This record gives sequence, structure tokens and C-alpha cells, in this order.
Amino acid sequence: MNSKTGRADVVQNSDTIVQEIEIRQPAEEIFEAMTNPDELVKWWRVEGKFRVTTMESDFSVGGKWRMRLIGGRGNETVVTGQYREIVRPRLVVFTWVRETEDAIETQVRWDLSEKDGVTTVRVTHSGLTTEGLRKRNEGWPMILGLLQAYVEETK
Amino acid sequence: MQGQMSNVTMPARSTDRAHRKQRDAVFRAIADPTRREILSILRGRQQTVGEIAGNFRMSRPAVSKHLRLLRSAGLVVTRQEGTSRHCGLNAKPLRAINDWLQDYERFWSESLQSLKSYMEEKS
Repeated sequence: MNSKTGRADVVQNSDTIVQEIEIRQPAEEIFEAMTNPDELVKWWRVEGKFRVTTMESDFSVGGKWRMRLIGGRGNETVVTGQYREIVRPRLVVFTWVRETEDAIETQVRWDLSEKDGVTTVRVTHSGLTTEGLRKRNEGWPMILGLLQAYVEETK
Repeated sequence: MQGQMSNVTMPARSTDRAHRKQRDAVFRAIADPTRREILSILRGRQQTVGEIAGNFRMSRPAVSKHLRLLRSAGLVVTRQEGTSRHCGLNAKPLRAINDWLQDYERFWSESLQSLKSYMEEKS
């Protein structure tokens, strides 16, 4: 995705981000890698950017999880949340709260769908703006309209 | 503001303090329906504080308080003309929201790439 279309998508979809990737592995194995803490710490890292160092997880609906990330500059971020929905090996929905920051509760959804040996993994991260915004969202489309206009003007 | 966003790791964590402070101020400013309404009013044209207050049932000092918050977030700019103060909209700080969303977008995109490499190299 190029940055220009990415930006437009972000604006149009308000406070939700959707990312997708195809992986040539069965959904069951990918699901395991995404939810088993021992495996998760092996892949969730990007050279020079960040690295998940620990993951504690009570993988059940209502169960809590907590992970630590080290950033490229050695800065640490703690992210916590709670599992809301688990459908093995297709779906995980959980809350995502950055403890070390402003503690806004956001939601992450992982969808896996397998076809002919290829699994599409989709991440949907929503509620990214301010807390309570979704509850009293009057005027929010206007804000996004302003933002859109501004971004297009300054492209 | 954009230049500061390079070398992103986790959203917000890597941005400098001043930048984050500004973003938080913008988020706080637009979280309130009255303040969003004020921005909407100013979208059309500049207005005096009195004109803006005329749109609301609340007291003028209450409206002024909202305006102060919008001003400190940089979303409203004011200009004194004689005895009246004219308020105008400045959409630029809203860019912080865009940057914030883009940071997360990058974070997830990189995370998925990483998962893909791990899974496909495993086989």
C-alpha cells in the first residue's frame, strides 16, 4: 500500500485501521503463532524498530494479557488488554491499552481465513481516537471532513 | 510536524514530548461535542466570541472556556479588532490525529510482515 492511499483510507474509515496479509501456511498454525506467548515473542519484532520481549496471557474469553515492547531506542512500552472473543483458528478480539501512555482503550481484531493452503490474516484496530468518542460521536464526521480537506490541501 | 515522525517504533512512544503533548491537546479539544460544534461553526467563516456564544444556551464565560481550550490546542486562532475578538479555524493541528493513525498503520503492517516471514521460513 502506498502512503498516499494509506492515508486516504485512514481518513475515510475514521478511527479504524485495517491491514491484511497472505501467508502460505494453515490458519491453525498461524493462529498458534499469534496466540501462544512462547511463539509470539519469536516473530513479533522488526529489526531496528521494536521487539516484543515478554507476553503474559490468559488465553480465554475475559482473560487478560500483557506484553512489553522495546522500541528501537530502548524505550519500553507496556500494552495490556482483555480477550473478548476467541474462535479457533479464525478469530480473536481483544482490547488494547497502552499502559505507559494515555491508557486509551482500543480494540484489535484478528481474522484468519484459509483457502487453498493460503491464509489471509487481517488486523482491524479500532477506537483509535479519544475515549468516549464513539459514544458521543456527534460532530466527529465533521472533524474528519476538516482533516480530509486539510490533508488534501497540503498533499 | 511530519519530519518528527520518521523512525517510528510504537506509536506515540517514539515521538518527542512536545509533539505528543500537542496531539493529546488536540484529542482533548475535539473530544467534547460543544467544541466540535464551535469548530463546525467556524468552518464557514470567522466569528466574534459573541456570535459564537449566540449559538449556545450556555453562558458566555462557559463558551469562552471552550474557546480557550481550542486555542491552546491551536485549532482556533483569534484576532482582536477594536473591542471585539474574531475567531477563526486552524485545521492544521488535526494533522496530529492523522499521524497517530498512520503510525499505527505502519506498526500493524510491519507486524504482519514479520509474522509472514516467520511462518513461511518455518516450513
